[in-house]
Parts: sequence; structure tokens; C-alpha cells
Amino acid sequence: MEEIVNVEAVSRRFSLDDGSPHHPAHSFVSALSDASLRVTAGEFLAISGPSGSGKTTLLNLIGCIDQPTSGRILVDGVDTSRLKPGSMATLRREKIGFVFQTFNLIPVFTAAENVEYPLLIQGVGSRERRLRVAEALESVGLSARAQQRPDLLSGGERQRVAVARAIVHRPALVLADEPTANLDTHNATQLIDLMHGLNRRLGLTFIFSTHDARLLEHTERIVRLCDGEVVSDNSTEGGSRG
Amino acid sequence: MAKFLLLAFRNVFRNRRRTMMTLFMVGGGVAGLLLVGGFFAFMFWGLRESTINSGLGHMQIFTADHFNRDEVRVLDTGIDNWRQVAATAKTGEHVRGVAPRIDFYGMVSNGDKSSVFVGSAVDPAAESSLGFRTYFISGRDLDPKPGGEVEALIGVGLAKSMNVKVGDGLTLLAMTSDGALNGVDVQIVGIVNSGVAEMDARYLRITLPSAQRLLQSDRVTNLVVGLDRTENTDEVAAELAPRLRGLPQKLVLKKWIDLATYYKQVRTLFSTIFVFLGVIAFFMVLMSSVNTLLMTMFERTREIGTMLAMGTPRAWIVALFMLEATLIGILGALVGVLGGNLLGFILNHSGLHLPPPPGNTYPLAFKVLHVPSLMIGSSLLVIVSLALASILPAIRASRLRIAEALSHV
Repeated sequence: MEEIVNVEAVSRRFSLDDGSPHHPAHSFVSALSDASLRVTAGEFLAISGPSGSGKTTLLNLIGCIDQPTSGRILVDGVDTSRLKPGSMATLRREKIGFVFQTFNLIPVFTAAENVEYPLLIQGVGSRERRLRVAEALESVGLSARAQQRPDLLSGGERQRVAVARAIVHRPALVLADEPTANLDTHNATQLIDLMHGLNRRLGLTFIFSTHDARLLEHTERIVRLCDGEVVSDNSTEGGSRG
Repeated sequence: MAKFLLLAFRNVFRNRRRTMMTLFMVGGGVAGLLLVGGFFAFMFWGLRESTINSGLGHMQIFTADHFNRDEVRVLDTGIDNWRQVAATAKTGEHVRGVAPRIDFYGMVSNGDKSSVFVGSAVDPAAESSLGFRTYFISGRDLDPKPGGEVEALIGVGLAKSMNVKVGDGLTLLAMTSDGALNGVDVQIVGIVNSGVAEMDARYLRITLPSAQRLLQSDRVTNLVVGLDRTENTDEVAAELAPRLRGLPQKLVLKKWIDLATYYKQVRTLFSTIFVFLGVIAFFMVLMSSVNTLLMTMFERTREIGTMLAMGTPRAWIVALFMLEATLIGILGALVGVLGGNLLGFILNHSGLHLPPPPGNTYPLAFKVLHVPSLMIGSSLLVIVSLALASILPAIRASRLRIAEALSHV
């Protein structure tokens, strides 16, 4: 199978100083230490671990919205550590879809317009945009709510809009940071089923962080983090340790 | 692009109360500039027309010598063949009439007391046909064809100084064009107020034939040309000047603006004040908008982080913020133009007057002109001000660290 993500001995340290070049950092907190991970196309992978274990940091690094202190990450064959900010933005725009814990929909846009946004910034033509938005909303079962603004949608509906937004531009990879954390059991179960269905039906690669047991039950591969280190990966014998 | 505009437009109205406050602030700046500028424009217009109609006329014709050398004797540099010159000037389009004038000076006496006067000799019929206004305290205008005694109008200050009233007599003494001393008895038929106290303390007016007899000369100092509209001055001057060059005496045509020194000084002073007010308004809008826009940016940190995470180019974020600010500027300018014109309309119908300016005796009407160029200029000023105010918040927004922005609470 084609490799979508390759995380090679990645570490991420955050300075506890103000980050100014005039004030050399003396103290750090290590959010991720020497983590390695390979993800192939079509996987449905959960990154699990307690709060502060480095789940979000790892997702941010894979999603090219942060850069590692050491090590390297390849996304769809591209070494992201060598990319300039503009190229990283292009990579995110074209290859990655994001689902956030707090949905992060644009409040002044309708559901359809929110889903349309990734296509808009890619410069897709209006006719094509309309078709793909309708398709994406249908795939998450929200065609009837297309013209509603986020404040009129329930939490579960908002997260489904966020999923539609993440998949509308047909990315190579969907990253979801604690997607069920703000949902009740019913909506969380629906969302899990939806993501799983999209993974199976469209072959989309999902990587999500969670400590939601309901979500982990549906996940074939679980990578566990603790204190910034990968402590287990059920796809590899004995897991990898960093 | 349309969606991007839509996003900016909706963002403007996301926090309605704050947007309304900003619109009132921006609109207030524009309305203030329109009211002040409109009042200044009214003042300029009023001063221009009153300067012209108080006797300056739209143009004046002099001999070239008048500006090249001082007169050794009275009317030394006057116009010889003034009737021919007047006839030439009258044939021009838009010319309402031509009035000959003599400027002279001398001594005036009531028998007990003497004083210096500054005299002006006029053709009353020509003056009145040009609509030149004289403000009478008492009495009447000069008779164009007086029967017996020489008639005179004197300024209110001179009348007070000489302790005379309408119907009283005065004796004028002046040097003739030959250098001899000549005198004439005049009867006061009117006491006038020019609005300028210093002028009224010395002012005296008699008819042109009376002055020519007193000064022993057929010349005039200048010819005043009156037009149908002030706006035609340049056109008529351009047409008349070449024709005057064909006459025997070397003549010079001066437009009213060349002669209205006081008008130009007032205009320069008030234009400078207006520019200063404009600069203040610009910075007030700029500084208060920076604060509002920074607050907006801070509130939308997570949203901006989300947009950046999805791959939105940073330049788009800058453009979005600048577009939103520009939209606020446009809407604020609209509010200001509407509000300013409405307030101007109310003020124009309120009958308000300001106290007389220094040196004047008439109160100034408080009116506001609706000047399109002022509306466009003030609107552009606040729109540019808002756009500039958005640069700092826009750049800060575009430079947010995505991971930090996404975790912003």
C-alpha cells in the first residue's frame, strides 16, 4: 500500500522563554520525543493517550501547521521539513483535511459555504464547487441543512459539516483532533460511524487523536502516546518506543 | 472573489453594536468635515460675491502704467479714451456693464474741522446697473443727473467724525491733475456703511463728472466690468484681453481674484484650518479604528487559525481584513454624507447667525453649502484612513502561529 505519512524520529520542544532571538531559551518542555510512525493510504488510525501526552502536537506536525525541532515528516512523499511556509500552505490546502474538536466553522457562512471554502481557496470553478459541496453534504447526511448557519445547527451537525469540509477537496489525508470531545454519546457514535463509513467507502485516510473509548472500539490501529513518546502501536509487533 | 466579498461583508456585521459604533464614529468624522467644509465654502462664496458686488466687479481695466509707477499727480496714470475702452468691453458676451471710476483723496471740512478722505467717483447709473450694493444708514444714493449742488455719500465713521448728517454741507479740497488746489462744496445725500470700520472712517463718494471737474481731468482711474456670473470670469477675460491690446493706450485687465487680497488671505487661512481639521479627523479615525480592528482580530484568532490551517494564503487574510475595514469606511462615509447633508439642511433652515468677524459690522449667516467635491474628498479620507488602520491588525492576523491560534480561547 502507498505510504501517506512517514514520521521519522520527530521531536518537538517548546521554549518556556518568550521566544525572542534576543533571549536565548534556557528551559524547554518536550511535547514529543523521537516519535516515529508510518501510515499507509486508507488507514483509520487513532492516536490515543492522556491529556498532555502529545497527541495534538503530533497531529499539528503531520498537518504541517507546526514544524518539528528535530526529525522529519513526509506527507504523500513530500519532506515537509524542507518546505517554505507558502509551500506548506499549498500542501495543507491540497492534501489535508482538518476536523477540529470545537468544529471551527466560519460563523458567518452557511453550512454549504463552509464546505465550499476549501474549494474556494483552491480556485475551483463555481459550477464544480456547487456539485462537490452537494456531494459532500449528502455524504454526511446534511443536504437539508445546507443553508443553515452554524449557530442554528446542533453540535453533531456542526461536526458533520466540519467533516464534509475536510473531505470536499478529496484530500490524501484527514486529520481530526479529538473530534468527539464536544459531542454527546449519540452524536459521537454517529460521527464515528460516519468517519468509518467514509474511510471504507472512499478509501480516505483518517488520523485522529482521541481518548474516547467509543471511538477506539471502532479503530483497527491505535498508536498510544505517553509523555510525548510513542508507547505502543498495535500495527507493529510490540510497538515502537521512543 | 464574490464569496470573499460576501465573507468580508458578513464579518462587518458580525458584531452589529460595535460596527454601528464604528460607523457613527467614521460617519461623525465625515459629517463634521462636511459641516465645517460646507460652512467655509459658504463663507468663501459669500465673501467672493460680496467682494464682487460691493464694487470690485468681476474684472477691472487699468493702464499698464498704473502698476508700473506711482502717480506724480492725480490721474497721471488714468485711462484717456475710457469711453472707447468701455464700449469695447461692453461688446463681450456675458458682460452686463462697465462702470468708470476715479480714485482720489483730499481734505474734507465742515467749517470747524478738517479730515482726510479717500474718495471714489462713480457713474451711479452704471454702478446700479451692475448691481453693486451700497448699505445706507440714512439718505439715498447719488442722483445720476443732479440739478444743482454736488451730491456726496460719506462713510458712517466720517459722518460721525465730522458731526454731519444727511442734508448738511461739506467742502472738499483736492489737487487737480495740473497740481493746483481745487475745492468744491458738496451736499451729503446719504451715509453708508461698507462693513469695514476703517474704510467708513475715511470714505466719500461723488459722481464722476463732479470729480472730473474737481480734479480738472477727463480721465478715469479704471473701468469696472460686471458679468452675468462669476464663473464666466476666465472665459470673458481670455476673450477681452486680446481686444484691449488693439487699443491705442496700453491697458491691463485684472480679474477679481487678482484684486481681492482680503478674500485670498481669508481663503488661505480657512483652507489651512480645514486641512488641519482634516488631518485631525484622519488620525482620530485611524487610531480609534486600529483599536477596534485589533479587537476584532483578537476575537477571531481561532477562526483565522482555522482558515490558515486549511491552507488559506496569508495574503488573503491581509486582504480580508483590509477589505472589511474598507467596507466599514465606505459605509461610514455613506452615513457621514447622509448625516452631514441632513444636519446642513437643518442648519440652513435654522436662521442661525454668527457674530460679525473682526473689522466687520454685519453678523455672518451660518449656512452650509453642499459641496460634492467635499463629500467625495471626506469620504475618500476616511476610507483610506480605515484601510490604513487595518494594515497592522491584518498583518498581525496573517502572521499568527496556526497551532497557537487554534488553541486560542
